[in-house]
Amino acid sequence: MKQYRLQVMVCAGTGCVSNHSFELKEALDREIKKHNLQNETEVVYTGCNGFCGAGPIVVVQPDGIFYQLLKVTDIPHLVEEHLLKGRPVKKNLYTPPAEKTPIPKMADIPFFSDQTLIALRNRGMIDPEKIDDYIARGGYKALAKVLTSMKPDEVMSEIKASGLRGRGGGGFPTGVKWETCKKAHGDTKYVICNADEGDPGAFMDRSIIEGDPHAVIEGMIIGAYAIENVHQGYIYVRMEYPLAIKRFQIAIQQAREYGLLGKNIFAKGFDFDLDVRRGAGAFVCGESTALMASIEGRPGEPRAKYIHTVEKGLWDCPTCLNNVETWVNVPQIILKGAKWFSSVGTGDVSIDPWGGSKGTKVFSLAGKVNNTGLVEVPMGISLGDIVYKIGGGIREGKKFKAVQTGGPSGGFIPESMLDIPVDYEELTKIGSMMGSGGMVVCDEENCMVDMAKYFLKFTQEESCGKCIPCREGTKRMLDILERITIGEGTEEDLLLLEELSNMIVESSLCALGGSAPNPVLTTLKYFREEYEAHVKNKKCPAKICRQLLTYTIDQKICLEIGHGCGVCKKNCPDAAIIGERKTVHYIDPVKCGKCGACYDVCNFNAIIIE
Amino acid sequence: MVTVKIDGIEVQVQEDTPILKAAEKAGIWIPTMCHSELFEPYGVCRLCSVEVIRGKRTRIVTACNYPVREGLTIQTNSAKIQWIRKIIMELMLSRWPNVKVVSEMAAKLGVKESRFPSLERDEAEDACILCGRCVNVCREVVQAEILAFAHRGIKREVVLPFGDQSNKCIVCGACAHVCPTGHIKMVVEDYKGKKPEFTLGVKTPISVPTLQAVPRVPVIDTESCIYFETGGCQTCAKVCEPQAINYKMEDEIVEVEAGQVLLTTGYDLFDASKLAQYGYGRLDNVYSSLDFEAILNSTGPTGGKVVMKNGNEPRSVGILHCIGSRDVENHPYCSRVCCMYALKFAHLVHDRTDAAIYQFYIDMRAFGKGYEEFYSRLLDEGITMIRGKAAEVVERSHGINGDGSLLIRCEDTLIGKFREIPVDMVVLCNAIEPRHDIEAIRRIFSISKSPDGFFLERHPKLDPTSTMSDGIYIAGCAQGPKDIPDTVAQAGSAAARILSIIAKGEVDIDPIRAFIDEKYCAGCRMCNNLCPYSAIDFIDDKKISQINDVLCKGCGTCVAACPASAITGKGFSDAQIFAELEGLLAI
Repeated sequence: MKQYRLQVMVCAGTGCVSNHSFELKEALDREIKKHNLQNETEVVYTGCNGFCGAGPIVVVQPDGIFYQLLKVTDIPHLVEEHLLKGRPVKKNLYTPPAEKTPIPKMADIPFFSDQTLIALRNRGMIDPEKIDDYIARGGYKALAKVLTSMKPDEVMSEIKASGLRGRGGGGFPTGVKWETCKKAHGDTKYVICNADEGDPGAFMDRSIIEGDPHAVIEGMIIGAYAIENVHQGYIYVRMEYPLAIKRFQIAIQQAREYGLLGKNIFAKGFDFDLDVRRGAGAFVCGESTALMASIEGRPGEPRAKYIHTVEKGLWDCPTCLNNVETWVNVPQIILKGAKWFSSVGTGDVSIDPWGGSKGTKVFSLAGKVNNTGLVEVPMGISLGDIVYKIGGGIREGKKFKAVQTGGPSGGFIPESMLDIPVDYEELTKIGSMMGSGGMVVCDEENCMVDMAKYFLKFTQEESCGKCIPCREGTKRMLDILERITIGEGTEEDLLLLEELSNMIVESSLCALGGSAPNPVLTTLKYFREEYEAHVKNKKCPAKICRQLLTYTIDQKICLEIGHGCGVCKKNCPDAAIIGERKTVHYIDPVKCGKCGACYDVCNFNAIIIE
Repeated sequence: MVTVKIDGIEVQVQEDTPILKAAEKAGIWIPTMCHSELFEPYGVCRLCSVEVIRGKRTRIVTACNYPVREGLTIQTNSAKIQWIRKIIMELMLSRWPNVKVVSEMAAKLGVKESRFPSLERDEAEDACILCGRCVNVCREVVQAEILAFAHRGIKREVVLPFGDQSNKCIVCGACAHVCPTGHIKMVVEDYKGKKPEFTLGVKTPISVPTLQAVPRVPVIDTESCIYFETGGCQTCAKVCEPQAINYKMEDEIVEVEAGQVLLTTGYDLFDASKLAQYGYGRLDNVYSSLDFEAILNSTGPTGGKVVMKNGNEPRSVGILHCIGSRDVENHPYCSRVCCMYALKFAHLVHDRTDAAIYQFYIDMRAFGKGYEEFYSRLLDEGITMIRGKAAEVVERSHGINGDGSLLIRCEDTLIGKFREIPVDMVVLCNAIEPRHDIEAIRRIFSISKSPDGFFLERHPKLDPTSTMSDGIYIAGCAQGPKDIPDTVAQAGSAAARILSIIAKGEVDIDPIRAFIDEKYCAGCRMCNNLCPYSAIDFIDDKKISQINDVLCKGCGTCVAACPASAITGKGFSDAQIFAELEGLLAI
């Protein structure tokens, strides 16, 4: 293998690609050639680094110098200064908010330094389209170990001992699931990787697949070996992830060429192959029974799971379905041992598999924090640490209000509970959930009623419509929320909303309906005063719900600073603003359509919103 | 067997029985909406939600599909369950306030009105409540998989592929049958070019073809049976305890060697729609005699009640004789049976309804034993007899004022007046005519037809059952129109003739017949088709023709036709004839 003095790692995660990282690489190649450096530097595409808010990202190895927010025009200077002369370009380095000195090394940036990498251990380090890169980082070593020196039962007990639990949201102990599947009657069994990541704003699975597809494949082969009688696996990816599908297909092809998939793997008489199945992007298809129905070619609708899918799943055969992140953890557990894995996290899983949460969890941190992106944190870390240390606090120094975990069906957690640890049971206890790892931070400018409405609208639209509570109930909930946000809500509505939410949780057919009211229930629980402000005073404290706002013009500012410029009058679509040029302007509250156009155009901040 | 406790009642059932069935056994009612025994539990209405207590865990599950295990405790009517059911009914009621099954169930569960106003409110009484019964029955039972749900969430609806009437739909009506609200309706119209043949009532693919059939075994109509369309359904096989349903049975051709054949191939009914003036097939409530026979039958479509298509009893019925018979344009002969069955119809209608009855006849032919007496009795019953063939039947609107929806125009020859009689129902006495395939059968058996088209008997008076072909006998309406007593008598006579030959064990044949000299026969087969008795066969092995001695009548047709002069009439060889001539001339 050729050795290079410098390796320039260009992030080719979806976030950076949409910020033109492909053009960056072209520019880099061009400049490197110009300076005749092509024999000592190599430009490599890598998977997602996770710090998507800072994209496009380029890391120069071996020193790990981290460049952010690069433009193609920055490249000539960067190549000349850094690659040729060895001086990192300060302008493009990362500077923490409210500080002046930049941090050149990736490892020193708090966003990265406070993370613990297991699932994302190869991020930014390898080219996802090259199997050799993965093998160079210890890839397929776990598979070799399993096939050459371990019996299926030994693999099973290792996974069980590790305390690994389902990362897709349910938190079902993986070892227990595998064992039930193994014990289920049937000569044909399947393993499935659920990569139908549908939560808005969540992209953990996508980044793992796009950055490290072989780790998923390796995990699945090990799982198939441990469960036995499994010779076919499916990876269910949504059609909206074309890059993930492409990288999976490349990875599967490469693994087949290397004899890691197919017949007689490692000459040990073990046969296993994988296929990619593309989903049409229905949120409900992330539910295991709906997903299997979709693979079978039927409409993606869930069924009652009184008979588990590990006993009767795909084509009525025992089927073990795990999330992308769960599969990725498997090779590391095999390589480093269950003890190593279970040393991280909360509780004790040696007796009760539900007794604690072990290992790490990837979250996609979004919303009003400074550092948005993908973070992998050890279980047990407090939510506050994620928001303030890794996330770098709230943007523009605003006040924290709530954090929502677990995707659109997760609950909102108020500031008073920020010290609770990341743990399946703890999060469920306070009305939220681990979910697949979405994490949305809200600041004081977010209206909790509006947030709850937003997420409920999503789940309501994504409800398959099969059962009455979810189909009819969520729509009625949305109707009530709609009424509240336009000022037509009553106090009875709040009680009705709560009653209906609880009923939907209790009686829905699948987990989508069973968890859809969570955002509403938690906001009703922790932010009830905001709801009351909406229904009693007809006011939105966060000034989001437009129908509840009143627009007025500060006469003093308008006349003295703005001199009655009249821009607001010109832009008002409702002709609700009265006043001649160079005199004070007024808003006619009857005509005002509350669109906010005047607020946006006023150069003197004379428009007051209450 | 496992024991479970439902609302305090212990009940023993097979393991994995759904709670719903176990509760049924315990005599406990659980409300359901989407459930049906026909298909796998769907579990979407959630009305059958119950609480399941196992150890310390309490879960809410649906009774229709939750399999019971040993030691389960089930609460079917706890406060929580009542609360869930109440809100479900409120949700349904807010969307479909006027659907009967919804409001009835709501009333049953004590819900009067909904607290949730719905933007999707549907006022229709037959709105689709998305229970999925039609979709499931189509997929699981019929296996046509034509109905499916489209769209997500609140926009969910039941659709046909591409929202259009699909030619994959087999129009079995199963979906309409299971629809609880009547949202799916069956409309009788042309479909796939097939016109509904029999519109008197609904007929299932399984039926007894003729009501007095012996043995009385039902048959499956493979053209309308779902199994033969899609391979699904098979409901009949599931419910038939002796497992007597056989889908593989097919029409088969059986070869029987027989020395004698009795042809009783029956007749066809004259198609009255050829006589457009009577409105058959065009006007409602105009029936042929066989249609009306079906209506009168107690196992028929109306259960033996004389009713019109709208279900009302007719106020007056007109019975028209000689439709197609005694008619130079169609059949000049008399069908013989019509007068008497027309009187029978009149009697039965008189017996079952208060309708006024009119008979339109040319001549009343009550010729049989007791027939005239029956005719007299009918006159006493108050039947109106009008002597004169009906000219036409028109819709009421075309005629003068009167009572009834149809109008019969005729000339009453007894009073010499032109009359218009308003009636609600018209029964036509169609002519009996030869079967449509009589020519083909005639050819097979080498027998003749008389000018009326029926089989020709050997002698109209002396031998009415046998034909010119030996061993071929005819009886019943195949020979000519006749009633049941005559048919029975003729058939009995034919049977006796056949038996006399069988009893004898041998057949007398005339000595005069032809024979083929094998040496000279060239195998040209010219004689084969010429023989009026089909007595000459071609022997493939020898490539020559051979005469069946039993069939040959010695007519000499083949003798004259044989180009090789290989055929000789026995006793009529050239040598013999010349010898005879010489003998004559010698004198």
